[in-house]
Amino acid sequence: MASSISLPHVESGHPLLNGLRLVPGVLLLAGIGYSGKILEHSVNAYAKAHHWTFPNIEYVLWAILIGLVISNTVAIPRFFQPGIATYEFWLKLGIVLLGARFVLADVLKLGSISLGLVVIEITLSLALMTLLGRLFKLKPKLTSLLAIGSSVCGVSAIIAAKGAIDADDEDSSFAIAAVLALGALALFTFPAIAHGLHMNDVSYGMWAGLGIDNTAEATAAGALYSDAAGKVAVLAKTTRNAMIGFVVLAYALYWAGRGQAETVTNKAAFLWKKFPKFVLGFLFMSLLVGFHAFSKGQVASLGNLSKWAFLLTFAGVGLRTNIRDMSKQGLRPFIVGFIGEILIACLTLGLVVGANRMAGL
Amino acid sequence: MSTDTSTTTPSSKGTSLSLDAWAVILAFLLALAVRFDILKNVPW
Repeated sequence: MASSISLPHVESGHPLLNGLRLVPGVLLLAGIGYSGKILEHSVNAYAKAHHWTFPNIEYVLWAILIGLVISNTVAIPRFFQPGIATYEFWLKLGIVLLGARFVLADVLKLGSISLGLVVIEITLSLALMTLLGRLFKLKPKLTSLLAIGSSVCGVSAIIAAKGAIDADDEDSSFAIAAVLALGALALFTFPAIAHGLHMNDVSYGMWAGLGIDNTAEATAAGALYSDAAGKVAVLAKTTRNAMIGFVVLAYALYWAGRGQAETVTNKAAFLWKKFPKFVLGFLFMSLLVGFHAFSKGQVASLGNLSKWAFLLTFAGVGLRTNIRDMSKQGLRPFIVGFIGEILIACLTLGLVVGANRMAGL
Repeated sequence: MSTDTSTTTPSSKGTSLSLDAWAVILAFLLALAVRFDILKNVPW
């Protein structure tokens, strides 16, 4: 699927027509997501009825797998693409609604721990990826994009940085392909490693949020482990996302200082423009629940709405992962990303284990 | 394909809202619907 590595574009034309263009793809996402949910239920029921010992495969994994099989075996017609591209919209909607399931005190406690870990993670990841980029003689701006993508928040950060540091489309596509391919790998390796290490839900969720670059994959990897781990993964990843403006600003200033990017005149406006606004929505929703704006049943309903939104996201994660397209992007950026991500995963695991011992996650 | 936080959706009046803003607006519209029991006991 070519769109897995291309940059977003804004549809032009009548808003109603643009809206109608989304319908087939959104229905496909909903169909795949719901099939995942039905499969989880039926496979478990069948295994139980026949007294089979069968691992419980969550709807998250089914939805991703169905999407992966479709996108890698059949050519998805073009009219589905605009709707499939909305998967990130459903992700952000789901995250804001998930705010209802957090008590503000928990957000502040876990958020402050994850903020400390995020600052350490970002600093070390940036240094590590820059070093690897130089070692493998990657182009300097491609190295910058890979460093930003692996330290902050994957594809969104790369796209935000592309304009700010005036990078090539080709470099951005390389960096996005590397982040997406490694995110797909992390989806399956992180939960397996965590099960092997018998990590608790909070520690694992924190690790997934810190170690996996793209928000959709981090959310899915968290939910694959457990519901509670999924919540923590979203919180840690959201904290990381909130740092996007600072990191992109630093790189924009660096490249502008070398005369290879536009000068940033208003730093505060730059930071606000790059700040992911859905983080504010998430916090405000949590604040409303803290002020008892919703009854217990209503909070449960909001949590369920969040799960429905994530269902579409997980289907989109599978659908936009095309192994053939990713392999066309060249080996060197992937190798740099791969080595970097393994080191970052080990590093963040060490950070989480350390924080667990010190602060008792 | 992923979208940036600054990706915009054009409207007929020429003004634009980011993807984030649309997500936040829809989330709070849903929250209002739940709060005033227009959406009740959403199943999972």
